[in-house]
Parts: sequence; C-alpha cells; structure tokens
Amino acid sequence: MSTTATAQNTGRVTQVIGSTFDVEFAEDKLPSLYNALKIDVENKGVHVKITGEVQQHLGGGRVRCVALGSTDGMVRGMTVSDTGAPVSVPVGKGTLGRVFNLLGEPIDGRGEVACDERWPIHRHPPRLEDLSSKTEVFETGIKVIDLLTPFVRGGKAGLFGGAGLGKTVILQELIARIASAHGGYSVFAGVGERTREGNDLWLEMQETKIGNTGRAVLEQTCMVFGQMNEPPGARLRVALSALTMAEWFRDATGSDTLLFVDNIFRFSQAGSEVSALLGRMPSAVGYQPTLGTELGELQERITSTNRGAITSVQAVYVPADDPTDPAPATAFAHLDAFIYLERRISEKGIYPAIDPLASSSRILDPQIVGDRHYAIARRVQKTLQRYRELQDIIAILGVDELSEEDKLVVHRARRLERFLSQPFLVAEVFTGKAGKITPLAESIQSFEEICDGKWDHLPEQAFMYVGGVEEAAEQAKKMAEAA
Amino acid sequence: MAKARAIVKRLKAIKNIRKITRTMELIATARFKKAMDRATEAAAYTKKISELVADLSQSASTITHPLLQAHPTEKNAVLLVLTSNRGLCGGYNSGVLKLAQRRMKEAREANQNQQVEVSGKRGISFLRFIKQPTAHAYTHFEDKTRFDEVEVLANRYIEAYIKGELDRLDVAYVRFESIARQSAVVETLLPVGQLTLASRDKVAAVAADTTAPKTEIDYEFLPSAKEILEEIVPASFKARLFKCFLDSAVSEQISRMVAMKGATENAVQIISDLTQIYNRARQSQITSELSEIIGGAAALE
Repeated sequence: MSTTATAQNTGRVTQVIGSTFDVEFAEDKLPSLYNALKIDVENKGVHVKITGEVQQHLGGGRVRCVALGSTDGMVRGMTVSDTGAPVSVPVGKGTLGRVFNLLGEPIDGRGEVACDERWPIHRHPPRLEDLSSKTEVFETGIKVIDLLTPFVRGGKAGLFGGAGLGKTVILQELIARIASAHGGYSVFAGVGERTREGNDLWLEMQETKIGNTGRAVLEQTCMVFGQMNEPPGARLRVALSALTMAEWFRDATGSDTLLFVDNIFRFSQAGSEVSALLGRMPSAVGYQPTLGTELGELQERITSTNRGAITSVQAVYVPADDPTDPAPATAFAHLDAFIYLERRISEKGIYPAIDPLASSSRILDPQIVGDRHYAIARRVQKTLQRYRELQDIIAILGVDELSEEDKLVVHRARRLERFLSQPFLVAEVFTGKAGKITPLAESIQSFEEICDGKWDHLPEQAFMYVGGVEEAAEQAKKMAEAA
Repeated sequence: MAKARAIVKRLKAIKNIRKITRTMELIATARFKKAMDRATEAAAYTKKISELVADLSQSASTITHPLLQAHPTEKNAVLLVLTSNRGLCGGYNSGVLKLAQRRMKEAREANQNQQVEVSGKRGISFLRFIKQPTAHAYTHFEDKTRFDEVEVLANRYIEAYIKGELDRLDVAYVRFESIARQSAVVETLLPVGQLTLASRDKVAAVAADTTAPKTEIDYEFLPSAKEILEEIVPASFKARLFKCFLDSAVSEQISRMVAMKGATENAVQIISDLTQIYNRARQSQITSELSEIIGGAAALE
C-alpha cells in the first residue's frame, strides 16, 4: 500500500459533489485506494487546504475521493498531490494528554506532538491466533451493570439508546469510574457528537485525578474528535484514528487500554452520507450497502490480543427508539455486553435508564460470574418480566384483581425497578446526590435480600438513588422523619 | 411488520377483555338491584329489633340473657370473614381482608385463642396464602343468601357462647351505607351487650335531636320479661348476622359494577392508544418501503 510519496504525482480536480470529489491522474500514476490526497493551494485569495481519501477508481485515470475536511472553496482544476500513503496519525506516549483531529493534528493549542512514529489509520485486524481468550469480569460499581450486564475485561460493551436517554452521561460516568481507577491508558473517540460535550470532557479530565496519585486522568488519556460540525468524511474516519492510537498502546506497551467511542452510530451515518455520493445504491432504510463491512472492519480491530487488551465502551444511538434499525442492529452483533436504554424507564425518572430485560451480557453465565450471581440476576429479571406481563392487566382491571402471589411480585418488582437507579459521580451537580460506587458483592447481597422480601416494608421511594440496600433503609427513615 | 403484528395481537386481547368487563358490568347492575331490595327490606327489621332489645334490656334491667352478658375474659374468639366467591370486583375483597388481618394480629397480641372462619373463595385462597388456618370455610353463600342458611351458623355461635366455649364473635364484611358508600368494617356481634349499648346511644342521640319524649317507655311484659328476652335476643343476633351477609352481597355487586365500569373505560382508552400506535407503525413501514423502492429505482437510472 505504501508507495513512496512523490511530489511529482499530481492530478487535477475534475468534479466536486458535496463532500466527495473526483481527481484525474496520469493513467500510470493512479494513487492506491485509501491513499491520502492533499490540496494545498491559494485560490482567489482563499487558502484551500483539504485532505481526501481515495475510495474508487473510476477508469480513465480518474479516482473518486471522500474529503476529510470541508470542501468549501474547492474548484475544478485545482492541483491535487498524492501523498503515497493512507492518512497516518502520531502514536506513542507523546499523544497522552493531547487532543487530536482525525488527521492526527493536535487541536488543543499546546503545540507540536512529541512523537517519532506515525501509523496509518487503515490496518488489518489482529490475526486469529493472536486473539486473547481470557474472560474476566470488569467491575464498574454501577449496580445494574455489574449485576445484569457484567462487562468483560478486554471486551466490548455497547450503550444503546434513543435521543436524550443519557448515553453520553453513562459513558462519561464510566470514564470517571474506570479511567480514574485504571492504571493503563485511555483513548476517547468523539464521533459526530456535540462539540461542547467534547470540551466538557476535556476540562473534566484535567480536574479528575487518578486514584490518589495526584495526576490528572488526562495525562493517561488521548482524545480524538470529529464532532457534529465536521463533514461526513471526518466522522467516517475519526474512529479509525483513535483506534490506531489505542492499538499502539496495546501492541507496543502491552498494557490494558480503554477505548471509549461516542457515538459509533455516527460512523455508520457518515458512511451513509457519503455512500450515495460515491454512487452506491442505497440498501435497507437508505443505509449504504456496505454497512456491515464498514462496521466489521472497525469493530474487528477493537479486540484484545495476547500482547495486550483493549476494553472498549461504545455509545450507539438508536434512531426513533427502534433497535431493529440496520445501524444499531449491525453494531449489536459485535458486542460482548449490550446495554439498552429504555424511554419508558427514563420517563419514570429512573437513571441510568437501563432496560434490565432487553440488556444482556455474554458473560452472564454461571461458569464465569458464579452460580450465586447468575441465579440472583435471573431472579431479578424474572420478577421484572412478570411485572411487565402483568402491566396490561393492572392498567385495565387494577392491582386488586391480581392473585396474592402476583401482588407480591408487583410489590417487589416496583422496588427492584427503583433500586436499579443509582447516583452518578458526573451527575452530582444535577442531582445534588453524591455518586455511589457499589461493590459487586454488595449489589448481589442487596438484590437477593429484596427478592427474598426482607425490605418489603420500605416505601418505594426509599429505593431511589441509593447505593446498597442499607442506604435505602436509611433513606426511608429520613423520609419518615421529614413527613 | 413484526412490531405491527405484535400490536394487533395485543389489541385483540384487550378487545376481548373489554367484552368481558362490559358484560360483567351489566350483570352486576342487574344483580345489585335485587340484592339491594333484599338488604333494604332487612335493614328496617334489623334496626327495629335492635332498638327493641336495647329498650327492653334497659327497662327490664333485673333480668338478663346469657347472650347479653360479656364473659369476664375474652379467651376464645371467632372471626368470621365475608368475602366474595368471584373476583373482578375491585378492592372489595382486599379491603375486608386487610381489616381482618389487622384484627387477627390484635387477637394474637392479646393472646386470644382466635379461630378464623371464612366465606367466599377469594378469602379462602388469601388465608391459605398467608398460611392462616381456618376453622370453617364456606363457599355456598352467594348473592341470594337465605335466612335458614345463616341461621345454622347463628345457632352454632349462640350455643357455643352460652356454653362458654366462645367469648367473642367478630364479623369482617363490607357494610352497605349507600349506593355511593360502602366501607369494610369489623363488627363485634357477640356479646350482644356491646351492640345494644351502641344502638342505645344512637337511639338516645336521635331522641336528643328530635327532643321527642320517646326514651321513657314503660313496657308491660307478657307472659314474662324473661321469656320475651329469651325469644328476642337470639332473634336480634340472627337478624344482625343475616344483615352482614346481605350487606356484603350488595356491596360486592356495587364494587363489581364500579370496578368493571372503570375497567371497560381503561380498555377503551388502551384500545384507542394502541390503534393509533398500530396505524403509525403500519404507515411508517409503508413509507419506508416505498422510499426504498423509489430510491433503488432512482439509483438504477
């Protein structure tokens, strides 16, 4: 793929369609697919600096490219030079504490990046024989996640949810919880989300300290942003840039690396935005026909090898709250832990609005989490499932028509449902409640006791936003005093 | 289409439920009228006979009847719980059972030897659920309770009370006060003395209101006060007990009527919501299919 860059290999822009453009080269000097092309010229007093990526060879010396930046100011006939290699980004410890765009250029205004090495963003996934087969639970201190959808160390977890259900908040909470307790490196990829959120995160990471070392989380983190304001080409490639940096940490240092992606759906969306411009026929629901391939190429690289692990948490937007939409449905297949945020739950004011029945994890298995954890998780789900089945009957006939057994199920399910909420570290300013980290053992104990009916006497409201169940008892006492 | 089809299925189920609840509402309305006629007829008789007993026992204070005498200790108590055989009547049963449970707890705390008797399948299954053993369980009291059926029970209680095997009888049932008002109560029927006191107070209150010189009536007893009391005190008790059964029958029908009316309305609401969701799901599916076909065709050109 990497032919040596020659300044001589230049072509001319022949067509510009939105964020794609065609370039004509000499027939024998065609740039390879995925090669980066650069435009860096003055035109009518406007300096135009664009990087593009070759996507198609059209024949007749013409190649079709996706622009990785805005195509404003581009005109036909502009000179384009072939860099002879795909886009590459700086990798190494010099990237820590810095913020980049997809081209690997620092955007935090702190000057040059001290890195000797650059890696191309298009790489092959690790070979089959190198893949790690370890399975280990990754504790987060969030009750509902640890109990029902345990994360895998070195695995992938997805946060699915419609607009405004708190995907980003959960992701930031996980960063605050995991990254601050984590010894290795973290990489954050901001893909097509609000720029403001990226800024907030950057500032917050400067303030948050790792454990009690007194060092900011940011010093162990590198961030790559291609947010909403960027053209589709940038959003399409920014995840790869971040991933490449994470891969370096995995392969070169062998340490446990965390990769946070917010939001992987925007990657698919960007692909769909350029797909038609590239002349591909749209497929189901208007997505690109290559949806599965594109996502597979990205996701297959996010894996753990024998040398090091990448644990990744990805937010996935679910358009119109419909999880059968091709983009989230395709992402689903790649994940170890699947967390689905449900609007009905967020409407009740229960955050995180994780649907305990739709969410699942590959490792919720007695062989891995142990018999007790498994049994209790299933009991909680069973109770909530029964409650959901009874909901129609309750809506029509009222709670009094239920049998005594079912009444008890409803009674406990309503408490369990509320107990799944938890105050977040990052939401302290909004809720006024200190974030709670609940160890797994305590979560299991608490849920078991609620299922056994030990806390049936507490009012439902006491279970809202507490850590362990003893705190619910305290809250009930406080409520009784206030009343 | 999977989503739309699931909605259709739910819609069908809810339409069936609506049919049932509407029918139940109509049936309950018809039964309620009959039950209410019986109850109002009995009410007048019961009231009068209670007043009579009160007046008599006041006038003939020298003579007493064993049913009028409270036993020195309340060791053996019976709690009779009247519930319905059928469900779909809202909070009717749970109201009674909640009160009954409270009374059971009181008895336990007072160290009484309480036996629980229950009428109605709903109550039976509830007591089984809370693992409360029952001395007697009846399912034959429907909404047309006959006096002779209740009399059997009443005679048993009277006998036990006179023998000293029973010190107190409570009945938990839903009292019918008016069409708009029924309330679950626990009433103590034995010893009758407590009842007479209560109704005498009421009579006195009425008398005070009307300022009628009604309170002082001189009775002449023929053949003798004792014989009359012997006859009238058990009769009054039986009438009271029978009244409990009649009241609970009326209240059951009213509760059912109200509950089923609400249920039908809820079902109608859900049906209209679901229909709207279904239409939207269907339309959005059609739209997306159309746009895919058109998009595909346009891309081929």
